[in-house]
Amino acid sequence: METENIFASLGESIERLSSAATLLERTVTWLEQREPVTAGAVEKMTAAVESQSELLERERELRRKLEAAEQQIAELRAQSSRAVAARQTLPASTTQLLAKQGISMVDSIQAGALDAALTGLSLEQRIAVKAQLLRAGMLTQ
Amino acid sequence: MRLEAMAITMPEVADHPNRTSFEGVLTVVDEASTRPPSGARGHRVILTREAARTALPSLLGMAVDYAPKWDGHDARAKCGIITEADVLGNQLRVSGYLFGRDFPDVMQQLRRSDADHMGMSYELADAHVADMRAEVWTLTRATFTGAAILLREKAAYRNTSFRLAASRCRSSSPQRERAGARLAARSGWRFEKQSFGQTQTRKES
Repeated sequence: METENIFASLGESIERLSSAATLLERTVTWLEQREPVTAGAVEKMTAAVESQSELLERERELRRKLEAAEQQIAELRAQSSRAVAARQTLPASTTQLLAKQGISMVDSIQAGALDAALTGLSLEQRIAVKAQLLRAGMLTQ
Repeated sequence: MRLEAMAITMPEVADHPNRTSFEGVLTVVDEASTRPPSGARGHRVILTREAARTALPSLLGMAVDYAPKWDGHDARAKCGIITEADVLGNQLRVSGYLFGRDFPDVMQQLRRSDADHMGMSYELADAHVADMRAEVWTLTRATFTGAAILLREKAAYRNTSFRLAASRCRSSSPQRERAGARLAARSGWRFEKQSFGQTQTRKES
């Protein structure tokens, strides 16, 4: 039963990875078809130096952009920390398998140490446990 | 030396009271501007020779304007017209005439000004930038919509110039005559005169 759960979970992970790869391929194709991303156009330009009012306006615009960027960074940081917290949970079956091998409280574990600890499990079980740990962000090289 | 030229052939009117010839260097090509132009978001810019050459037809017939303090553009204060444009070396040279009688104050100011102090500035529309992230923007395509006469220190390009020509505007400007002399002096050049309203082009590599 436990092994079935592990395989199901592994299959689900593989499916998600596969769909992500497809999306990436589509994105690359779309990017290749577009003009160079960095090219652009300017509606109006005059070869006179900027007046004081234009400089002030540009400074205001840059300040607005900076504030927006800072806000976005803060939001991304918050999202990232929430994602890390959410990721660090393992399915009960994996936790049980690890417990049987004497690994109870796991924050992070190195791949080499894990191999040594999981020698009692079958190859399929080891693969499944590693996949779950990778997904949870708990496995380090 | 490479010359690309284009001109509107104007009918000759001897001593026209409202045409005062001018000539100037509008900008330099393939060189970064000394300072960021207005509208370039703080970037200095390079107008490529190819972009300038391609845009020459858009420059002919466009007006020259001025601002009361000679420090920028006022697109609605048009005081003259560009009739000829050449890319000579790395300079985009223009000539044409000012409406001398209509703008006596402008004429007075320009006559009083030291020739070294006056410059020119282009007005571009739909300028294509090769890489918006580059420190210096390279303009690969653009349309000229006009030009301004201004103090050279207010121009984004230090090496521009503007001066009134010695004589009133005729169909052949001093600039064109000089170019014509160069043309005549060398074999294999073709110079075709066309009627009013058409443009004539010369090109040599």
